Amino acid sequence: MMLALIRPDSWNFPLFLHILGATVLFGTVATVAIAGFASRSHAGYEQLLSRVAARTFLFGVIPSFILMRAGAQWIVGKEFPGDAKTPGWIDVGFIVSEPGALLLLITGILIWVSVRRGRLMLAVPVLAGIYVVALGVAWVAMSGKP
Amino acid sequence: MNTYQWLLVFHVTGAFLLLGGGAIAAALNLSALGRERPSEILLLYGLIRIAVVAITAGTLLAFVFGLWLVHEAGYGYFDGWVVAAFVLLIVANALGGAGGKRDQATANLARELAASGDAPSPELKARVRDPISLALSYGSGLVLIVVLALMVWKPGA
Repeated sequence: MMLALIRPDSWNFPLFLHILGATVLFGTVATVAIAGFASRSHAGYEQLLSRVAARTFLFGVIPSFILMRAGAQWIVGKEFPGDAKTPGWIDVGFIVSEPGALLLLITGILIWVSVRRGRLMLAVPVLAGIYVVALGVAWVAMSGKP
Repeated sequence: MNTYQWLLVFHVTGAFLLLGGGAIAAALNLSALGRERPSEILLLYGLIRIAVVAITAGTLLAFVFGLWLVHEAGYGYFDGWVVAAFVLLIVANALGGAGGKRDQATANLARELAASGDAPSPELKARVRDPISLALSYGSGLVLIVVLALMVWKPGA
């Protein structure tokens, strides 16, 4: 068991960046979802909550996605160099991060449109909620390595 | 999956809820810093309660399954990195709890002001930007990042 837990020291920093980015990404995307759902039930605060979603997306979601994804690529390059075949649990991570980037891009565009309209569209918290669930699937795959 | 893998899934889930909850609280707190109307500050502080639920659940999961993992993986409960991580987790919770109490007092003031005209108040603005509250809350987050680093590097293991 102990041997399975040992990894080279050079993997630790990229792994740390990857996990830090992923946890902050989870929290900031959840914030977008929370602001979006809250704006449906708090009349008079739609403008405030759409700005909260926009700032969180710009200063939280985008940087943390880059950190998570760059950290992932860095450690995959060390753990599976060259053309080495990656296991299924890593493929799950790529499935979540790459189509997930498209989902986030659409969410970002809808937030921008929403801010101009002064009210968050329902699609914003729904898409953010879907991405939060996808991140949950990814972290179960990444940590359990089934 | 074997027992170790399942324990790690629950431990990592705890870490995500803990650090993710901290990110939610930080995003909403930063949004409140720029607001003046008491009802807006009250709304944002109210939403932070969702983060508190995530942080509490995450702390419990990370702690309980972390202890179990130490046993399952054959580490010692008195290994330096294990002791440091548990002490820092307690420190982070103490700092966050103290910051949270001050924020609750600020939310109570915002509620009173919102109910009596919702006019901006210099006292409320000062409390929202109180450097001690901010240092306690953000200090708690920084300590949690150190705990994450200990979990990854496991110095001395």
